Amino acid sequence: MDGPYSLKNFLERGWIHGAIPPALLVGLVILIELAAPGFLSGETLSLLFANTAVLFILATGVTFVILLGGIDLSIQAVASLASVVLAQLLPSYGLLAFPIAIATGFAFGLLSGVVHVRLKVPSFVATLATAGIVTGMALWISDGRAITIEEGGRANTMWINGTLLGIPVVVLLAAAVGLASFLGLRYTRFGRQSLAVGAGEPAAWAAGINVDRTKITAFAISGMLAAIAGVILASRLSSGSPSLANQLLLPAIAAVIVGGTAITGGLGGVARTAVGALIISLVRIGMTFVGVNIFAENIVFGAVLIIAVAITIDRSKIPVIK
Amino acid sequence: MTVQSEPLKSVSEMERTKPATSSAGRVAALFGGPRWRAYAPLAVLIALCIIITIANPNFIEPRNLIRVANSAAVPLTLALGLTFVILLGSIDLSIEGAVSVAAMVLVLLAMNDSNGNNYGWFAVVAAIAAATLMGFLNGLVQTVLRIPSFMTTLGMWFIGLGFAVYMLGGSAIRLTDDSIRSLALTRFLGLPLAVWVATGAFILALVIQSHTRLGRHIMAVGGGEDVAELSGINLRRVRIATFALAGFFFGVAGVLAAAQLGQSNATIGDGRLFAAVTAVVVGGTALTGGEGGVWNTLVGVLIVTVLANGMILLGISPYIQQTVQGLMIIAAVALSLDRVNLKIIK
Amino acid sequence: MLQASAVTKSFPGVKALKDINIEVRPNEVVGLIGENGAGKSTLMRVLAGTLRHDSGSLTLDGEELKLRNARDAARHGIGMVFQEQSLLLNMSVAENIYLGQEDRFIRFGIVNWKAMNAAARRQLAKIGVDIDVTARTSELSFAARQMVELAKALTLEESVDRPLVILLDEPTSVLTAADIEVLFERVRALKSRASFVFVSHRLDEVLAISDRVYTMKDGEVVAEHRASEVSAPELHKVMVGRGLQAEYYRETRQGEPRSEVMVEAKGLGLAGAYHSIDLTIHAGEIVGIAGVVGSGREELVRTIGGYMPQTEGTLEIAGEPVRFSSPEQAVKKSIGSVPRERRIEGLVMFLSIAENITLADLKSVMRHGAINYRMERELASDWIKRLRIKATGPDVACRKLSGGNQQKVVLARWMTAGSRILILDHPTRGLDVGAKEEVYDLIRDLSEQGVAILLISDTLEETIGLSHRVLVMRDGEITARYEAKPGAKPDQVDLVKAMV
Repeated sequence: MDGPYSLKNFLERGWIHGAIPPALLVGLVILIELAAPGFLSGETLSLLFANTAVLFILATGVTFVILLGGIDLSIQAVASLASVVLAQLLPSYGLLAFPIAIATGFAFGLLSGVVHVRLKVPSFVATLATAGIVTGMALWISDGRAITIEEGGRANTMWINGTLLGIPVVVLLAAAVGLASFLGLRYTRFGRQSLAVGAGEPAAWAAGINVDRTKITAFAISGMLAAIAGVILASRLSSGSPSLANQLLLPAIAAVIVGGTAITGGLGGVARTAVGALIISLVRIGMTFVGVNIFAENIVFGAVLIIAVAITIDRSKIPVIK
Repeated sequence: MTVQSEPLKSVSEMERTKPATSSAGRVAALFGGPRWRAYAPLAVLIALCIIITIANPNFIEPRNLIRVANSAAVPLTLALGLTFVILLGSIDLSIEGAVSVAAMVLVLLAMNDSNGNNYGWFAVVAAIAAATLMGFLNGLVQTVLRIPSFMTTLGMWFIGLGFAVYMLGGSAIRLTDDSIRSLALTRFLGLPLAVWVATGAFILALVIQSHTRLGRHIMAVGGGEDVAELSGINLRRVRIATFALAGFFFGVAGVLAAAQLGQSNATIGDGRLFAAVTAVVVGGTALTGGEGGVWNTLVGVLIVTVLANGMILLGISPYIQQTVQGLMIIAAVALSLDRVNLKIIK
Repeated sequence: MLQASAVTKSFPGVKALKDINIEVRPNEVVGLIGENGAGKSTLMRVLAGTLRHDSGSLTLDGEELKLRNARDAARHGIGMVFQEQSLLLNMSVAENIYLGQEDRFIRFGIVNWKAMNAAARRQLAKIGVDIDVTARTSELSFAARQMVELAKALTLEESVDRPLVILLDEPTSVLTAADIEVLFERVRALKSRASFVFVSHRLDEVLAISDRVYTMKDGEVVAEHRASEVSAPELHKVMVGRGLQAEYYRETRQGEPRSEVMVEAKGLGLAGAYHSIDLTIHAGEIVGIAGVVGSGREELVRTIGGYMPQTEGTLEIAGEPVRFSSPEQAVKKSIGSVPRERRIEGLVMFLSIAENITLADLKSVMRHGAINYRMERELASDWIKRLRIKATGPDVACRKLSGGNQQKVVLARWMTAGSRILILDHPTRGLDVGAKEEVYDLIRDLSEQGVAILLISDTLEETIGLSHRVLVMRDGEITARYEAKPGAKPDQVDLVKAMV
């Protein structure tokens, strides 16, 4: 049944070797172009990229964690908190509000990492706890409301909504984050050690790698990137709210998995996540286009997530599937 | 379910020999560690009640205690379902989806302000059945596709939520069937019916846990999947049954939530997962499976509810509640550190 | 009578069982001995139904057995008491005894605990032990747990109407001498009702309890003795097989150690594992430690490798006192470990050869703070050539290599990291003869370069053949020390005497 040429095997190999997601992406683009000619114009493409930017940055952050075989369920909460912090501080602190908001995200990522590693709690619980803490703080800071960024503050967020050399600044920001993450994973010691820990933690440990530090760093990065996504989102919407990014958790994780990063760790990367994020964006556009109810989108994403996990997961690495 | 994997087994073998040599856990046992730990949540609950009463005597008034009981009804029912899943060593993140689906089915089939249906209590049965089916699918998908429960249920969470919101058309639909609304409004012996339903759910969970084969097998699988399998337990069946059972409890909770709220909307499930996980963990049920149970969960739910109530009485912003709960999860797992021989945690 | 005829079983790359023929007669205790990796555990798992053999047949009283799982075996009266204790520590004794058989106590979906506890009490009474059946298993001693396991296996009596066959897989490894005596007493008493297959490393124990003894070596049954007609040293000779071969272990290349002391342990101890260990390893010296499972040698080498910190005594590396809490710290002191579990701890199987080689020392291929992939590949290609690693290139994932080549990659990693001390924990486990010889060559190379080597191994001959000095451990202590100069190697029989 599971012969070397079975469909399952084909899918598994194609996905793990990174061939299927790009093909899927191209296929989706062609499909949409056929259905609505003119899609491939520069303008719509730049809009597509701009709309994908926030999702991509969130997904990039969680890629670091998933590469280690963990999961971060706090990214939407951290992004929301960052949006609230930004909106709250812009009037008084001006541009300084950006680094403060981002540092907040970093700090809570660090917290998740430390709790996960030091208390030996599974990452989904550690990050669920962090998500609760963070959401509570966001609610408290904002008094449970959305905070509109007023005229005064908007002067400082304008630049994010502008364009540079004809390219939306958000796209440039996402590209910068993507590039830095790509280089970090590929060329630094931390990147290599992440891969090693994700691919085989006991062997990485035995080879003298500081597994704890690697993990904590990954969670801190995830928190920081979530905060960056949060401030960009707040700038684009001119408002910060404790539930601003709540709808982005699932698409972000789905983007990572669909892009071909295995949930079991050790395999994948930022380039794959970029492809995955574009696929998710296109699916969303496609669904709106064929008239799928906007409320039903979650059904599709949920199903896509389960299917992609089923295909990319490396079962030989989990002795017991719980 | 188990995946045959030789090499990893040997690591566990290696780790298993450890307690014999250098076990902090055994030292803890010498000083009555586990026993002390077993009553710690109860002690926390009692201390909490005393402190809050001292700070604000209104806490102890019957009216307030009934309020506490009433607000504990839905979280308790949810947490009971989740307890079984966690005893198995798994997790169910689809709670909010299941609650939404159950509430949606109930509201759309019972008398409501959107369509002409009026199936009465059949709607309640259908709502519980829908959530049970969802749990069954959770179990089926993860055993057939062999993927971890947290991923399966993460997907199902949003599938359920999306489905519910889609069926509701994105708006809130009011429940106008008075007999179902009476679950929240009618009182028996001073307590709302919802509290009695939750009590019934608790007794049912207790019986399942300690007096049925499924209950035993859940503990066995949570305690050691390989050993359970060697003893002839059908892991797949236990897993599917457990998730379906959890779905059943989520369904009951969804019905109670809709009755209390008098409507179903897109946000009826919001925050329920977090509250349930907090309650189970704070109650002392181990995330690794096989330790704890429904009594722990009862205490855990009460701790969470009493604390929330106390914070309101003390005039603390209700917004920080989630923050406090998050910290409680961390504190609870930190205190239950009996994981000396766990090496890889993901 | 349970019979295995011409049973074979292969794992990828290894023939674990070759043409096995054994029989277990009614009311007898059959001993099964052999070194690690001889195939004892595999054979037991086949008999217990948890592993399926490739060819050959199992018969019970002449009837062919097809065992798909443990449950099938149980239906035919074959029960197993496992090496790793197979009780659920979070459940009560009675629950454990009847795990998977609750149906007998269920009425209308409700379990009758009173009946189950009573039945469990009867079961324990049968083997003459008094244990509270409602106690949590985690609260019992290892010996008591072993008894519960035995009782659990014996519940088969109630559902099977033929004499049982109970498989005891190294039941004594965690027991004290007194407990072992109690266990043996029970086994003797139960012989009238069941047959036993007893697996152990300890030859004297096997001889004390068994009627007949099978000896396994390299996946084959090489001898069958009546226990009354054979002595422990004789059995050991059969078990170890081939005598020493100087050439095989490259003894001519065994040079003089240097004077520099690399590792020095004084009164080193780890609670529950070993104690009072004095040990010195010089640069260029290979020190082998012999000992059975539970002698503490495994823990000792893991302490020096940084896996398990010592609880007493001092450990000095190149003159500097240390206490490692992780391998990271040991690696920083230029200690490298070649772990026993190559596929788990030795290599990150999904990473490439190049990535595995630089894992412990990325600095050597980093330029301007970034990994230089070209240099990394060149480095790996160089090692592939020098160590004759059979692979198409440095980018091949390690899981695709054979065991011997994987081991060379592990060694290449430590050579890249410039390790001056190497811990070799069963370095040739699972390798075929050719691959073993290549690893021996490498070990000699390293020794000549002045690397201090601590060796533990599956076979005594390997330990003796390779080492400059051999230490023998028993019950956590060093019981004997032997010089092992080429041409004047210690005798295996002497070593065994110190081991058991």
